[in-house]
Amino acid sequence: MIEIRNISKSYTINATTNYVLHNISFRFPDHENIGILGLNGAGKSTLLRIIGQIESPDAGEVRHYGRVSWPIGFRGGFAGSLTAEENCRFVARIYNEDIDRVIDFTRDFAELGRHFFLPVGTYSSGMKARLAFGLSMAINFNVYLIDEVTEVGDNVFKRKSRKVFEERSSRSSLIMVSHNMKTIRTYCSRCAILTKGSLQLFDSVDEAERIYKAL
Amino acid sequence: MRSLVRGLSAQINVVEALVIRETRTRYGRFALGYVWAFAEPLLWIGAFLLAFQLGRRHIPNDMDAVGFLATGLLPFILFRTTVSRTMGAIRANKALLYYPQVRPLDLVLARGILEFITLSVVFLILLFGNTIYLEHLPLDSALQIIVGLIFSSVLAGSFGLAVGSLATMAPSVENLVSPLLRPLLWISGVFFTAAELPTRIREVLLWNPLLQITEMVRAGWYRSFDSNYYSYLYLCAWILAMAFFALTLERVARRKLEI
Repeated sequence: MIEIRNISKSYTINATTNYVLHNISFRFPDHENIGILGLNGAGKSTLLRIIGQIESPDAGEVRHYGRVSWPIGFRGGFAGSLTAEENCRFVARIYNEDIDRVIDFTRDFAELGRHFFLPVGTYSSGMKARLAFGLSMAINFNVYLIDEVTEVGDNVFKRKSRKVFEERSSRSSLIMVSHNMKTIRTYCSRCAILTKGSLQLFDSVDEAERIYKAL
Repeated sequence: MRSLVRGLSAQINVVEALVIRETRTRYGRFALGYVWAFAEPLLWIGAFLLAFQLGRRHIPNDMDAVGFLATGLLPFILFRTTVSRTMGAIRANKALLYYPQVRPLDLVLARGILEFITLSVVFLILLFGNTIYLEHLPLDSALQIIVGLIFSSVLAGSFGLAVGSLATMAPSVENLVSPLLRPLLWISGVFFTAAELPTRIREVLLWNPLLQITEMVRAGWYRSFDSNYYSYLYLCAWILAMAFFALTLERVARRKLEI
């Protein structure tokens, strides 16, 4: 479970301060996949980075109960000069996981072929996202934080991703940010909308979709 | 207490993984990287040996030229490369800050530790290789040498952390470092001892902690050479002040850093 309390975050550009998140408190329910919808620039990714504790809020606190993943997305996470295999090795080490198991799982899952042994800097963003997604699935988290990344890959890859999640839905849940209604519908049972710095949870995806479309 | 131990062991785990990773990126898949680690001090020693020959330099206290230069150059090179490696550590590894357990300080620690290990090994091989060649071991205190190298490394790492943290807010500060450090080669006792200097000049140059570290390392290597010109207290004060300054800046950078 994850709980955030009184989170605020602002950015100052050219001496004007913009609040991206303003005094948000939220408890993510256990064992439920939650989608976070929001228009571009609403602060979805910032919120996810704060939840993942890689960015600190100006005020407020984040609490994790259980093992929470890093924010899995297109950006960040890999050293471009190293191969996918070497990156997997590093991540397995910092999460205290069995290195060979993580490498084998990721190689199978990400379907990068011989590119798996080439520097990540040469990858397309789709390949990077597949690698990030596969690698995160190799590690058993209680909560996966996902930033759009499930929209990559062909239908086979998408089906496979969905299947992996279904298999582990009894012990893992996810928090996903996206502006793609279809993806959210595929994975999430409930939805929250981030607007003007506040986060509101809806009981059904349908209800959230109605509000979201009216934004 | 238990959470402190757990936090510490998690951090050691992260730094260890980073050191292993850095070894790959720093020295690559080729042995050439390691060759350079040896070649750089050897080239410097060669150049100074030639200069000593031409200038008919007499080295005091029965010290041999190669050992004299090695004990001066290695703490200096350790300082200089540690600064230049650690100050770029955060910028170069920003992608790794995507993992919540990896913090800017860990990136700097990993690079500093790798430099320390590499150059200590180089130091060991050079000095003992020279010993075998001369068939004479002048060693006075190994502990004093180790402490000197640690001082040089921690002082440099702290400085690098301070610059690297500042650079996350104002990238141009990195450009100031190299011209700032350039004169250090000439005033840090690499090719002279403090005792050889005129009193007035010595009094000024002894403010430079690197000169004191060189004296310390050299006095640790040679039984025939002892120095009154270094103070543990003074060096510790430098290191504490620099580390405090750097860690404060790292805290600020940690909050401001946009990943």
